[in-house]
Formats: sequence, structure tokens, C-alpha cells
Amino acid sequence: MSTSTASASPSGTSTDPTNVIVETRNLGKIYRDFWGRKKVNALKALDIEVRKGEIFGLLGPNGSGKSTTIKLMLGLLFPTSGRAFVFGKDATDVSKNERIGYLPEESYLYKFLNAEETLDFYGRLFDMPADVRRERTEQLIQMVGLQRARRRQLKEYSKGMTRRIGLAQALINEPDFLVLDEPTTGLDPIGTREMKDLILRLRDQGKTILLCSHQLADVQDVCDRVAILHQGELKELGRVDSLLKVQDVTEIHVKGLDDKTKQEIKDVISRSNGELLQMDNPTTTMEQLFLDIVRESDQRPGRRGGGA
Amino acid sequence: MRLTPDQFLNYFEWLFDPKGLLQGFFLVLILAILGFLVGFVIAMLKHGPGEGFLQVAKIIRELFVVDIPKTSFRRVAAIAKLAIKEAIRKKVLVVVAVFVVAIMFAGWYLDPKADNPARLYISFVLSATNYMVLLLGLFLSCFSLPSDIKSKIIYTIVTKPVRPTEIFFGRVLGFTAVGTIIIVLLAAMSYLFVVRGLDHTHEAKEISGDGTSGVSTLQRFHSHTFTLNENGEGSTNETKGHRHLVTKDGDKIVFSKPVDDLTARVPIYGTMRFTGRDGEDGTGFNVGYMSEYQRYIEGDTLSSAIWSFKGVSPASFPTELNYDMTISAFRTYKGDIVTPVGGVVIFRSSDGLVESERIPFKVKEFLIDQRSISTKLKGFRKGQPTELDFFQDIAPDGKFDLVIRCQDRGQYLGMAAGDVYLRAKTLPFWWNFVKGYISIWLQMVIVICFGVMFSTFLSGPVAIIATISFLVLGFFGSFIDQIVAGKIEGGGPIEALIRIPMQSGSGVQLDIGNPVLENVIHVADQGLLMGVQTLKSAIPDFTQLGTADFVAYGVNLFDGLLARHLTICFGYFLMTSIISYFFLKTREMAA
Repeated sequence: MSTSTASASPSGTSTDPTNVIVETRNLGKIYRDFWGRKKVNALKALDIEVRKGEIFGLLGPNGSGKSTTIKLMLGLLFPTSGRAFVFGKDATDVSKNERIGYLPEESYLYKFLNAEETLDFYGRLFDMPADVRRERTEQLIQMVGLQRARRRQLKEYSKGMTRRIGLAQALINEPDFLVLDEPTTGLDPIGTREMKDLILRLRDQGKTILLCSHQLADVQDVCDRVAILHQGELKELGRVDSLLKVQDVTEIHVKGLDDKTKQEIKDVISRSNGELLQMDNPTTTMEQLFLDIVRESDQRPGRRGGGA
Repeated sequence: MRLTPDQFLNYFEWLFDPKGLLQGFFLVLILAILGFLVGFVIAMLKHGPGEGFLQVAKIIRELFVVDIPKTSFRRVAAIAKLAIKEAIRKKVLVVVAVFVVAIMFAGWYLDPKADNPARLYISFVLSATNYMVLLLGLFLSCFSLPSDIKSKIIYTIVTKPVRPTEIFFGRVLGFTAVGTIIIVLLAAMSYLFVVRGLDHTHEAKEISGDGTSGVSTLQRFHSHTFTLNENGEGSTNETKGHRHLVTKDGDKIVFSKPVDDLTARVPIYGTMRFTGRDGEDGTGFNVGYMSEYQRYIEGDTLSSAIWSFKGVSPASFPTELNYDMTISAFRTYKGDIVTPVGGVVIFRSSDGLVESERIPFKVKEFLIDQRSISTKLKGFRKGQPTELDFFQDIAPDGKFDLVIRCQDRGQYLGMAAGDVYLRAKTLPFWWNFVKGYISIWLQMVIVICFGVMFSTFLSGPVAIIATISFLVLGFFGSFIDQIVAGKIEGGGPIEALIRIPMQSGSGVQLDIGNPVLENVIHVADQGLLMGVQTLKSAIPDFTQLGTADFVAYGVNLFDGLLARHLTICFGYFLMTSIISYFFLKTREMAA
């Protein structure tokens, strides 16, 4: 793996500075104990940019500095070195929050409020007038599918429901920039799929999304670019499709070939000095299988789906 | 009930008192310099001197240029509303239930034989409410913010456009609203408890032959004597701090509900001075009591206490001049112990040329002696006996002196400035009661401000301890003053700590066998006490803010005093909000 501080330009975006939503310059964070002694060097000289309209993934094992990076960008932590800018403003500037939506790793919300009260409360924090808050609350409750639980206190919610209301509060201000920390944690496969679809839809609406996740498949599904951190250092940065592309292997998907034609293809590869690595029927993903079964069950209730 | 001299100042005299202004100015200056230095040192350790200075300067600039102007009432209200919901849903109203239980059983331990049951009942409800509400304010304010930080809910708050000022104002406003609801409920219950608890009447037990006087039945451990005029109307004597109006209804004598027990007398206070045995200006005698509150005048000499009143008009006293006295006696010989020590009252014009006859009285110790004289009275003009009109002859410009002398040779009468006052009128008790609760409310707001301030940088339990420390210092402020002034024996904290294992009495000199070490301890103690004294000057004096005595003793809580307390409360609100701002602004919420 190469360590890169240069960022590849995703299609549809440019390196025009006005298009940069987040920029970190030499960003570092050292955690210290009460006496000021160094405990952990959580982040070392991070230089990244998140550009307008992209879904940017932040990957890394536990303790790699992902959460620290997000907290520095949001002003929840102060950097030990370097600086972070969001919308061109210092990360500690409160006014930047007007255009940010944040879904934390776990939905840290007031458990004694119900869904409506929660969204109303966060709407007030954005200084939204009452009629706008009401309208927005209604839209978001519909969007995250909590119509039936809107008057229940959050302490009665399942983990998936809590994630949904967490997402709704992050969207209350129609943010230009969304920070999603482990957005699919606690969601069932349908919820996960809906979340990913929603993330893509929000991107299509022109919003910029910073996503931090352990679910690599989810990151691969939705992210335009990713940064991979390890032990507080940036190890890789680039477009997902180019990073995952294996340059010296060719993949062909063909439908309806008979055995004879398949043999001819093998012969052609052999004559061309190619090495056939695999030639087989592809498998679908477990996620796709699950979603197909549930969809069929919804369409034909009571019937058991066909299987092997 | 004891009034200190500074309580006689009116609001503006107090507000613009040069000494107080100077003290306040220095306190603000010291706090500002100290705050800046502490902030600078912390920032310097993190960023170096140059960058550290810029960081602190930036925060100060942002407070005035950005954060205060951009503070949104909607956000403050949202945080306040949340605090109210949190308190109610976490069942804080259980405090009201505890109070209900407390007053249900209060009758068991409130002495029904007390000299003044009204005073006892009022003191009880006000004290109970006061402690309960302060504790409530303490717990509400100290735990909320640390709990949000611990549970990380604060992440979803501070990543919204919420400013530190809004977090502080919102919480203070919300907890104050919760406390206000509870105070209103407790006040209503307390009022009912007092009014219904004191309600009683009597019947006539013995009636004189002509039917104009008699004795009532025994009720609640007391009875009254009563007199009636020719119209069949009259009154009982005062017992247990109240009277009953008595009317004759046919053959039956009817007693009203108690009167004069629940009242709010509006006092007019005068300035006081003493004269010595020779009649020249003096300071009054100290008879050796620990308290320096009252000074004494000697009997059968020219020693006197003189109160100078001004602004007294016939509008307040159309036919009678009402005045109250709370005088104590000190006997140098036992004599006739049953007969109280006697004295005289003289009303004198401010130029000393006209004065009333001597009005004799016997001291009613520990009681408010309510007296009155007619405005048409006998007296002397330049030594010649004459008939006088009080407002034409003695107080033509509203100014006059009231002189008290002790008559019994070898005995002494003790008094202080607040012990004699003119009773201009009486106001409804309920209004004074409400004002007493407003005082409690102000104390609660101060506790909430301190609680929220400490919770911006301390964990919940530590914030509680810090706030309690402030409360204790606030309640025992005068004790600390006395320790610092060396009036309390036993030395400072280090010396006291050494005395405990040595089992050394506080009245003897500390002797550990090493004079040098004793000196070191003494000097270290002085340093510590100076520190505590400085800290104490920034802490609210809750004994001064408490006004329960005014209500219990039936003295109208003057509006100027309440306005002063409101100003003090606002001052602490400002101080705690600025300190909280700096802590919230510089704190890493995710650290």
C-alpha cells in the first residue's frame, strides 16, 4: 500500500477550492492524561479533502483515528497540531454547524423524549420557526418509517428505530454536509439497504457525505472515495473503483453460453498465454438473496419461497 | 429578629454606597485578572505564549462580538423546555409529595405551647421550603450537564449551532422554571398549613357581673381575658401573639378568629445614637454578653438611647402614633424579680425645645411591645407644661427624636437600631408571605447558577460537593469573618487539626513544644484564612439573603431589600455565566 496525501479527482467533482467542503491540514491529535503526559498519539499529520457532492468513506480498524478525525472536524475535540476547516471555517466555529448534520456512532439522544419531541427540539436548536419544524418533523418521520412510534419515548425504541430517529435528527436542518458514523450499525438488512439507498439519494440531491464504517461492503457500495487510516496515519486515499480495480486481471460476464463456447474461450486464453484463474457461475450476495426473499414474501404472503 | 445597620439603607444608597462599589469593582477586577491569567497559563502550556495569548484574546472577543449578539432566545427556550421536561419526567415533583408528608406530621413536633405559635409555624414552613428548594436546585443543576457529557448526548447538541451562552442560559432558565413551579406549590400548601393550623376561637368561660369583661375558655393551651364597651364590642388581651375581637350577640359572647398574629407591619426606622451617664454623646454600655448586637443604657442616669426619625406625616398617623419596641433588660442585682425593669419614652422635637411627658413602660423581654400615643398629648415647651399637637409642635417638618431612658437604678436596658420603629400601617400577611418566598426563589436561582457553572467543568458528584461548599461558606460567612478576625478561639484550620489529636482545648494557647513550628503554623493558618476570606467575598451570604424572620416576626419585608437581593442575584448570574462561558468554550466535549 502506498501512503498518499495527494487526492484523486472523482468524476463529476473538481479540485476547485470552492468545492472543498472539508479540509484538514497536518491535523494531529495527542491524548494526554490529567498530568499532561502523552497517552496516545491518535492522529498524525492528516491531510485530506472532502469535496462537494461526494460520498467520502473513512475506513480503518478500531483505534485507527477515524472517530478522532470526525470529532476534530466537528469541533468536539481540539487539534494538538494542524487545523481542520469545514466550509472554509475553522472546525471550532459554531456557525459552520448551521449546514452540518451529524449521526453519531450510537444515537445519543434524550430517552425521555418521543420522536416528535426529539425532532422539534433539534429543530429549535437550528432556530427554525414552529411551522417549519412541524412540516420537517412530519416529512422525516415518514421518511425513516416511524409513523407508528412517533409518540413513544425513545427508551422504548429498538436499536434500529433509534438509528432511524438519529438519522432524522441529523437531517432536520436539510444539511449540505452529512457526517455519518457507522450509519448501518443495528439495522437489519432491509434497513441497511434503505439506509444505503438514502445515502445515495442524498448524494444525488447534491449533499456531501462523510461516512465512517466497519461494514466494508457498505462502504464499497456507496462511497465515491475512501481514506484508509491505520494507527493514526493515512495509508490510502482515492476513488473506490480505481483502488479496488485489479489491473492485470480481466473479468467478463456473459449470459447464455453453451459448454462448447466456454471451451473455445478457454482455448483462446491458453493460446494467448493467459492464465485462467476462474470460470464459474457467479453467486449473488447474501444481502441480495435476503432482500429478494423478503420482497417475494411481501408480494405473496403465506407462501414458502423455493430453495435448494 | 435582628436587623443589621446596612439593612436600613434604601436601594440606591446601598447600590451607590462608595465602599460597596469599590469592593465590587475590585472583586470584578480580581476575578477578571485571575480568569485571564488562569486561561492564559492553560493556553500557554498547550500552545506556547504567543499562540496562547491569541487564543485567550480570541475567546474574549468572541464572547462580546459573536456569542452574546448571536444568542438565540429560541435555542435558549428549547434547552430550558428540555430541562423542564427532563425534571418532570424524572419525577422531580416527588419533592412536593415529600413536603406534603412533612407538613402532615409537622403538628407532632411543633410545640403547641410555644409563646408565639404563628412565628413557629411560619419559621417552620419557610425553613423547610428553603432547605428543600435549595437541595432541589443543587441536584437539578449539578447533574444535568455532566450526565449529558457522560452519555455523549452533548455530541448532538454542540454539533448544532448552539453557543455556550445558550447552554448556560437555557439550563439556568429551565431549572429555575422547575424550581418556580415547585416553590409556588409549596408556598400554597404552606400558606394553607399556617392559616388553618393557627385558626381557632374561644367561648366565654367567666363573665363579670356587669357583662363587660371576663375570661375565655382554654383552647390550644391558652385562654384570654376580654373587655367589652357599652356597644357590646371589644377585644381580648394578647396571648400567644394574637388577640380575638369580641362581640356581644344577645346573651352570647362571640370570639372572632385570631387577629394580629398573621400580619405585616410596615416599619419606619430611625437612626440611633446613645448618650452616656452625663448626657453627652456615648456609645452605650457593653454588659459583657457575647453578642454585640445590642448596647445598654444605665438606669437612673442621663444615659439614653435616641432614635431620630424623619419623613413622618399625619397621613400615616392621623390620630395615633404607633410604635413597637423590643427591649431587653440586664440586671446587676436581683431585686424584685417579678417586676420587670422600667423605663420611659419621651418624644422630642429635633431642636430639643418641645417634648412630651415621660411615658413609662415595663420591659417585655423577647416580645414586640406594641404601643401607641394620641397625637394630642401633654408635654413641655421650653420646660413649661402645655398641651401639644404631635405634628404641629413636636414634628412640624416630619422630624423628631424618640428618647428611651432606664428608670431603675443599677439596672440596664439593651437595644439596637432596629429595636424601635414606628408602625406606619399593616399590609396583608399573604403579600409578605409571598415576598418571603421570592427571597427563597432568589436563593434558589443563585444555587442553580453556581451548580450549572460547576457542572461545566466538573463531574456531577464533584460539582455537588463544590456547590455545597459554596452553600456552607454562604451560610457560615459571618463565622468565617470571625475566625479571620481572630474572634473565635482555637486558631485556623491547621492549628485546629493539630488540636484534635492533642485533645487541646480551644481556649488555651497551642503548645507543641516548638515555638518556631508554632509560628509557622500560625503564619500558614493566616495565609489559608486570607484565601478563604477572599473566596468568601465572591460567595453569596445566604444569612443576609434569608428573610424568613421578617415574615415570621410580622414585619413587612421592605421592597428595597428585595430589590437589593434581586440585584445580588443578577450579579451572581452574570459572574457564573461568564465563568461558565469560558469553561464551555474551552472544553473538549469528546475528551
